[in-house]
Amino acid sequence: MQVNKYLLPGIVVLGGFLYLFAQAAPNSQPANGFNLQGFGQLPVVDRGRIKPIDTFARVSLMVMNDGFQSFKDENGVRQPAVRWLLDVMTSRFSDKGTAEKLKVIRIENDQLLGVLSLQPRPGLRYSINEFSKQLPALEERAKAAEQKEPAKRNTLDRSVLQLAHHLQSYIEIASLQTPLIIPADKELEWKPFMQAAIEAKNANRDDPATKAFGNMILAYERNEPSNFNKSLDEYRSIIDKSLPAEASISKFEVFFNHFSPFYHCIVLYIFVFLIAAMAWAFRPESINRSAFWLCTLTLIVHTWALLARMYIQGRPPVTNLYSSAVFIGWGCVLGCVILEAIYKNGVGNIVGSVTGALTLLIAQHLGGEGDTLEMMQAVLDTNFWLATHVTCITLGYTTSFVAGFLGIFYVLRGVFTPTLSAESDKSLTQMTYGIICFAMLFSFIGTVLGGIWADQSWGRFWGWDPKENGALLIVIWNAVILHARWGGMVKNRGIALLSIIGNMVTGWSWFGTNQLGVGLHAYGFNDQLARGLTMFWISQIVVLAIGLFPKEKWWSVKARKQPVAGIASGLKTKHQPA
Amino acid sequence: MSDQSISSHKPTGFLKLLLTLASLRLTVILFLISLFLVFAGTLAQVDNPTWTAVTDYFRSFFVFVPSQVFVRFFQAFRWVPPTTQWGGGFYFPGGWTVGFLLLINLLAAHAVRFKFNWKRSGILMIHSGLIVLMIGELVTGLFAVEGNMTMEQGGATNYLELRETSGFLGKINGPELAFSDLSNPKSEKVVVIPNHMIRNKGKLSDPALPFDIEVLEYMNNSSISENTSQGNLATKGDGMSVVAISKPEVSGTSSDQKIDLPSAYIRLIDKKSGQENGVYLASVWLSLSSTKPTQEVTTSEGQKLQMALRMKRSYKPFQMELIEFKHERYLGTNTPKNFSSKVKLVDPVRNDSFETLISMNNPLRYEGETFYQSGFLPGDKGTILQVVRNPGWLLPYLSCALVSIGMLIHFGMHLNQFITKRANNHAS
Repeated sequence: MQVNKYLLPGIVVLGGFLYLFAQAAPNSQPANGFNLQGFGQLPVVDRGRIKPIDTFARVSLMVMNDGFQSFKDENGVRQPAVRWLLDVMTSRFSDKGTAEKLKVIRIENDQLLGVLSLQPRPGLRYSINEFSKQLPALEERAKAAEQKEPAKRNTLDRSVLQLAHHLQSYIEIASLQTPLIIPADKELEWKPFMQAAIEAKNANRDDPATKAFGNMILAYERNEPSNFNKSLDEYRSIIDKSLPAEASISKFEVFFNHFSPFYHCIVLYIFVFLIAAMAWAFRPESINRSAFWLCTLTLIVHTWALLARMYIQGRPPVTNLYSSAVFIGWGCVLGCVILEAIYKNGVGNIVGSVTGALTLLIAQHLGGEGDTLEMMQAVLDTNFWLATHVTCITLGYTTSFVAGFLGIFYVLRGVFTPTLSAESDKSLTQMTYGIICFAMLFSFIGTVLGGIWADQSWGRFWGWDPKENGALLIVIWNAVILHARWGGMVKNRGIALLSIIGNMVTGWSWFGTNQLGVGLHAYGFNDQLARGLTMFWISQIVVLAIGLFPKEKWWSVKARKQPVAGIASGLKTKHQPA
Repeated sequence: MSDQSISSHKPTGFLKLLLTLASLRLTVILFLISLFLVFAGTLAQVDNPTWTAVTDYFRSFFVFVPSQVFVRFFQAFRWVPPTTQWGGGFYFPGGWTVGFLLLINLLAAHAVRFKFNWKRSGILMIHSGLIVLMIGELVTGLFAVEGNMTMEQGGATNYLELRETSGFLGKINGPELAFSDLSNPKSEKVVVIPNHMIRNKGKLSDPALPFDIEVLEYMNNSSISENTSQGNLATKGDGMSVVAISKPEVSGTSSDQKIDLPSAYIRLIDKKSGQENGVYLASVWLSLSSTKPTQEVTTSEGQKLQMALRMKRSYKPFQMELIEFKHERYLGTNTPKNFSSKVKLVDPVRNDSFETLISMNNPLRYEGETFYQSGFLPGDKGTILQVVRNPGWLLPYLSCALVSIGMLIHFGMHLNQFITKRANNHAS
């Protein structure tokens, strides 16, 4: 009996472990004899942050090809981003022309494709060679677009500027102007390799670090792996001596990049959802336990990844939109795992896995624009307020979303399945109510802490800024739900429906207020976000409309009147006597 | 939260009114109204300066909500084209009204329903915290004053320039037209014409001035252009080489400019001769220039006066000196990492003198005023401090503490109850 009870969950968790282990294991290397991994671990400076070359290469490549942190070489083999970076870095003095032949630049706009005499092809990724003849025409258009006011640029102008920007970064890398490396001079001042090399030459000085880095690049171009590895070791020993802390964080970040834990969390959350859904259809208890265990395992990885980012950046968890999505997902899953531990009825597994996967997918999308560990604006440069206000506000969003998804779950389960018994109806409402209390607490404290921060930094407790107002709307909405319940104006279904509207309010506060382009918290307009949020609101309205069906039409309510043993009982909501 | 404590027999008259005022239904309705008000007040910031929107929507008894604000919402999500215009609108209760009604509702509810016992202590704390918060916002709305203090590297100042804000009585603290007589180096004689007098076009006269003034044009916000080919009202002074162009007032949307910079064209007429002296451009733009903040006006008798349109000043009994301004950037970029100003404050009245460092998120509080690092002069030549006097600044802190503790107590008791109940169920 005991064995049976834990056998399946054990197997599922073991499977999850093996999957993660396989992903975290280092690549069988070195590639063609080059120690690319060691090269990737070297710390450099780009956009104000010390980061490994690996991150710099991945982000630069991802921005150019719109989404991928690796590329296919001429033979169609997937290669790591550092390889592309080395190809670009050596392109100026190489006659092989490898970098120019790589199809890594994504051009979506069909007018722009026309301007560059390119044919649309699957993936829309092109090499520089394919449009090098049209570069003068492109430059002219870019200049014209630049002259226009940002609001007056059309889609073609924006695409032209984007491509010009990509080429600009390409040229900066090719001419070794970016990123900054550390030459071994006394001040340890970060410089582009080119500048360091010229300065060393002019001063007739032998700079071992610059020399080693230069030899490394030369050896790569000449296809001499052993020389490359030798120079790399020389350079690394200098770095390890002068910047030991940075070097070790860099190594860790490369592992983090390679593991890409958030991606695997999405995969696992989807599995959790599938297993939890099966638990509803077949043998509930052990399958449900499997889902719970796997969800907990995924949450542990999610937590580790969150802590790893904090360690790399040296900051509290939420610093930008990307990290807010990661953190909200984490909070949702944590809340749902706690709910599942208390109620053991499968609700936490379903809602947790759905919110976890959705928020991480959103994060994946938001992370496509560059380095997600970017530097902060001066006024935001305070760990204390980031840790208190931002974390609290984000927990407020989190709990409001959990309540909203419990509401959705209530409606869908009640209308489309016979499993929402009177008892699970009550317990689901209890859960939602409890979560809303937390949402109220977090969003209120978070909002007021934001006010206090504002008072500390520019003397205004409350500025009625759109983002602040958005947070206030969540507070008011949660207060509406709680007071409506206390006044007996809404019952179980009402709370579920109101918390679904809470989803819409929270969506507005999280993303929508940015669209207005107003105020201190504005990050700028984004077409994709606008579309995403519109779809989200429509979906919520659809669920609301379903929830408004007369209750006697709900399958579960009908089923309550004529209970059929075995089918309608659903999951056990009562505990076995101890 | 049940309403059991309401008396069971039918209430009449005053009690009935009190019960209506105390009802949770009213609370919910008022919450919904405030929800809508906050939403509309947010959207209004797309077209209006943030502070106009705040005055219109939140610091008012009634507000006219134009339908166009909702078009702005639809446009933000590309549901309607950017050119869409809707006319009309409707009246809606403003922030003062909603806040006042919520306060009545809350007090009535406590009068009717709430008894003091331990179970209610959390709720009582939350609600008294909210009252403190509302009072804080009221005090801020009525009494807070904001200004700027600008100092060049090594320079000192003893006044702040008050920011133009909107209060109950309309615009206050707008720029004033100042004439100073520097002929006696020991004591500067200044004649100041307040903002509300120059805001309305027309003729002005002051016995202390050797000429009459006629305001030809006053611009609430302006920009300065060096292209004078389109015609120029000015016939003398600094206005000969530049021309002021009227601009819409700063809206919450613009990120590059935070405050309005007014300009005016004024004609000066010699009192004695009755002859026109000339048409001058007086502009805050000109007086912001650190090298030549005033322009010289000479009367027909050769008397020289310095003229400037400058922000209203508030002189302080102490002096602030900028010792060093620092502007740190992130490695290899132009992104600012931190701004800080090392200043020395000398107060002869209180016999006080000290040096301190003001930086982002680290203001100086002195004698009821708070000095924040706000900006810097071009080329890091000096610092701009934002100065705020808000007698209610402590209230939000108090409120936050009250509400947070209240919620923890209240929800904590709920949670405790829930866990005990479950444990009992489990055991049975």
